[in-house]
Amino acid sequence: MPLLTVLRVTIKDEGITMGVTRRQFLRWSGASALGAVVFNGCLIPEEELQIESPVDLPEDLVNGIDNWYATLCRQDPEACGIIVRVVEGRAKKVEGNPDYPINQGKHNARSEAGLQALYHPDRIKEPLFRDGSSGEFQPISWTDAHNKIVDNLASLDDKSKFLLVTQPIRGHLALLASDFVQAYGGNHMAFQSFEQLTLRRAIKNVFGQDRMPDFDIENAGYLLSFGADFLSTWVSPVKYSRGYGDFRQGGNKRGIHVQVDSRFSMTAASADEWVPVKPGGEGILAMSMIYVIIMDGLGDSAIADFLTEGNGYHALESFNPANGSVWDATGVSADRIKELAHSFADPHNHPSLAIGGGSAGAHTSGLFNLTAIYSLNLLVNNVNADGGVIFTPASPLEDLARQDVMAMAVPASFQDWKNLEQPDVLMIRGVNPVHGLPNDANFVDIVEGSGFVVAFSSFMDETTEKANLILPEHIYLEDWGDDVPDPGPRYETLGIQQPVVRPFYAGTGSFGDELLSLGDDLGLGLDSRLGLDGVDSPNYQDLLKKGAEKLWMADRGSVRSATFDGFWNGILQRGGWWDTDAGFGNEYVKYAPALSTGWPNVTIEGPTGADTYNLIPFLSNSINDGNLAHLPWLQATPDPVTSMVWDTWIEMNSKTAEEKDIREGDMLEITSPKGIFEVPVYVHPAVPPWTVSMPVGQGHTSYGRWAEGVGVNTLSILATLTDQDTGALAWAATRVSIRKTGKRIDMRRFEGNVPAIEADPGRIIPLASPDSEHSH
Amino acid sequence: MIKRVLISLVVLGGLGAGGLVTLFLVLFVARAWWTTPFEVLGFGGAPEQPIHFPHTVHAGTDVLVDLQGNPMLGGDDQPMHGLGLDCTFCHRNVDKGATASVPPVEQCLFCHKTVGTDLPEVMKLIAAWDNKSPVLWERVHRLPDTVRFVHEAHIRFFTKEGNLLPSGEQAMIPANVCSTCHGEVANMSEVKQVRSLKMGDCVDCHRNYNAPTDCTTCHY
Repeated sequence: MPLLTVLRVTIKDEGITMGVTRRQFLRWSGASALGAVVFNGCLIPEEELQIESPVDLPEDLVNGIDNWYATLCRQDPEACGIIVRVVEGRAKKVEGNPDYPINQGKHNARSEAGLQALYHPDRIKEPLFRDGSSGEFQPISWTDAHNKIVDNLASLDDKSKFLLVTQPIRGHLALLASDFVQAYGGNHMAFQSFEQLTLRRAIKNVFGQDRMPDFDIENAGYLLSFGADFLSTWVSPVKYSRGYGDFRQGGNKRGIHVQVDSRFSMTAASADEWVPVKPGGEGILAMSMIYVIIMDGLGDSAIADFLTEGNGYHALESFNPANGSVWDATGVSADRIKELAHSFADPHNHPSLAIGGGSAGAHTSGLFNLTAIYSLNLLVNNVNADGGVIFTPASPLEDLARQDVMAMAVPASFQDWKNLEQPDVLMIRGVNPVHGLPNDANFVDIVEGSGFVVAFSSFMDETTEKANLILPEHIYLEDWGDDVPDPGPRYETLGIQQPVVRPFYAGTGSFGDELLSLGDDLGLGLDSRLGLDGVDSPNYQDLLKKGAEKLWMADRGSVRSATFDGFWNGILQRGGWWDTDAGFGNEYVKYAPALSTGWPNVTIEGPTGADTYNLIPFLSNSINDGNLAHLPWLQATPDPVTSMVWDTWIEMNSKTAEEKDIREGDMLEITSPKGIFEVPVYVHPAVPPWTVSMPVGQGHTSYGRWAEGVGVNTLSILATLTDQDTGALAWAATRVSIRKTGKRIDMRRFEGNVPAIEADPGRIIPLASPDSEHSH
Repeated sequence: MIKRVLISLVVLGGLGAGGLVTLFLVLFVARAWWTTPFEVLGFGGAPEQPIHFPHTVHAGTDVLVDLQGNPMLGGDDQPMHGLGLDCTFCHRNVDKGATASVPPVEQCLFCHKTVGTDLPEVMKLIAAWDNKSPVLWERVHRLPDTVRFVHEAHIRFFTKEGNLLPSGEQAMIPANVCSTCHGEVANMSEVKQVRSLKMGDCVDCHRNYNAPTDCTTCHY
């Protein structure tokens, strides 16, 4: 029977005689639904066959497909690993790289704001030149600019009159710059406004290490921090903040944190206890604790003998907390010191960790202070142990571990800047010493007195605007680089920085490329020094690849591949290379250098008497020492303690202020031995009555539209005492006098501007019911 | 007997016809697979667009002709030429990102507020603007979902000095590159695909230019 007939008959029969049963209905509808799904799936959806012309002109044509690239953040010396979301060739968002050993997926507001540097309207877009130190800048091609540098360097008779100033640099850039300066015969200085020089020297003194150790906050049981604002700006804040989370909530025991600080910082605010100490007395307090630990037989007695050269606590008698001089210097009572010493050395709190820095090391006795503080670690035997001070291995690449290369990361002391001999050719890269050094350093004269000044800078700032030639650098998101983190993790690590977007302007370039091509034209033989022979006109990326090739050949660590291309792609994807099996290596031999037992010379310069206070400047949590003051996101990020934005302010104790009839928002005139200016006051109860505090970083006269005219430059009026051992600036050793001007302003702060969420006062929110323990 | 012969004839004929149909189907699919489809049944030809946008008028430079092939005369009785607009004037994103992008209606209105407002096709456009309704063009070039094609990278490569186009010419501006894959769109009154744009086509070209041929170059 023909199929059609069969079908018709069936339908006819079923339809007329019995209708559709429930089961048949379900079967048919199931089948047709399935059919609909199957056949629809085979077709291309209608909308994909069409393209829409939108009605209005969109500001940005976005296809919505993103790519994430791993690179390094260069906003901080910490150099976190970041991943950047790139849509249609534009960087859109920065996040922490979850693979990178330093920050392990975390990042901070400063990394986040890197995008604003990239898109900043005040970026310098092409090389600029002017004759002499005055007159207008004229655009010039990069080639012409390059030739001018070559001419000036080639014609310099006394090669030692060439000075290269950079920020502390690490990795292959340090190698390149070091070889360049050596081959040419010039000098190099690294600039950092709140230099870590004293800290590094103390680490060297106490532990014999050139590299910063890894402070294992994460696994510590008791953390004693002297002046180190490690959650905000100190050394490696993202790494420490991540560790701090684990320290507080990670293990089965909540770590105890005591902050000894002359200012109530964000870190002090997070501590279990804040011990306000008199400025400069931190070392004496630490010595006093050592005295108690040795006298009461706590801690390692062998180490105690090393420290006191066998004389025991008697050698430290002058630091006996019972002495009035200790109370005078520290403002901490004998009982409190004993308590601190006992908690620190208590085995229940093990492992204990003492760190120090910031204002604790910024005194005339800075090195003494930090040496005493770090020596506390020796007594509780936490060196190279979990929760303690863990030494970090040098770079996996021999070149980068060279002494002269590592020295590129060590900042010059203030004394060095002050005694700086006038160079003839000055090359400045990425730093702003005119703003960052106190007036007393006379760096302006050095710049103006140099015959030829080249500035590598992406923005016009106080130093750059005094140059003869400005070479605009790529923003780090457009540039190559690498980093041997210092402090690193406890294993060998090399971070890789790759361009995540193409350079926006044809006129910007790379500092590394320029150094290589200068070396080429000056005949310095850099290529053979750097092992780049055989590479046709090598650039900085070739140098990085050369280094990566050695890692590839070692065939170990996080990335391995049969081919170099595979290896290179692998490290670019992950943001670097690390080998968790390659640690510090050498077995640590217990050792402790003898303490200097003499009473330190703590000098503080400035007026004394009524209405005078010790000025404690501090790095801003957002704009740092001012190098990030050009980014509006960071200007608008509230200070964690005061919630202030877009300004410089002075913090004052509320009781003292009340006595002097000073109210928040009053403009005060601040007079130091080196200068005078007016700032508004913020009063709060947690300012020690003998101090006032001010953030640094503002007061730019030139640094883009968002930095200029905001606040005052706190650094400029600092007294210029130096640490007697290292010559580092004692930036916490200034006294100032304060006078009410009678003017008032509205404080630019977040607090109080947003109404608090109304809470029902009588409502109790139960976190657990009383019998919850029995219920499960 | 006759019946048998008839039956076998019918069967053979049926088989033959079936075979022919199958053969044509195979040829049709094969041609479409390896090159562009035959222009039958609406495959492979230029799809009908909601607005008859002539690239000849906008991008071309030749004398414009009407449907009968006669030159169109302007107000001065002289033959009218195409405007010769640069491709990137409308396809603005082509040297910046993955997609070439089609212009928004607002951009068309830059000129068509005053130009050609009496032409029926332009009136459709103005209506779209007035109604705030987007124009949905029929897509002419479409790659499978598994492929990521980025116009910008290709434009960048070919506009670099020394990288000659397959035609042997040096592209001076981005617009010189387009016809390599899209044909002479400026001379098409209706746009259609002229090149297969299958994977083999991509890979051949990548090989010729020593461009990467890793899978992840396009499939990611």
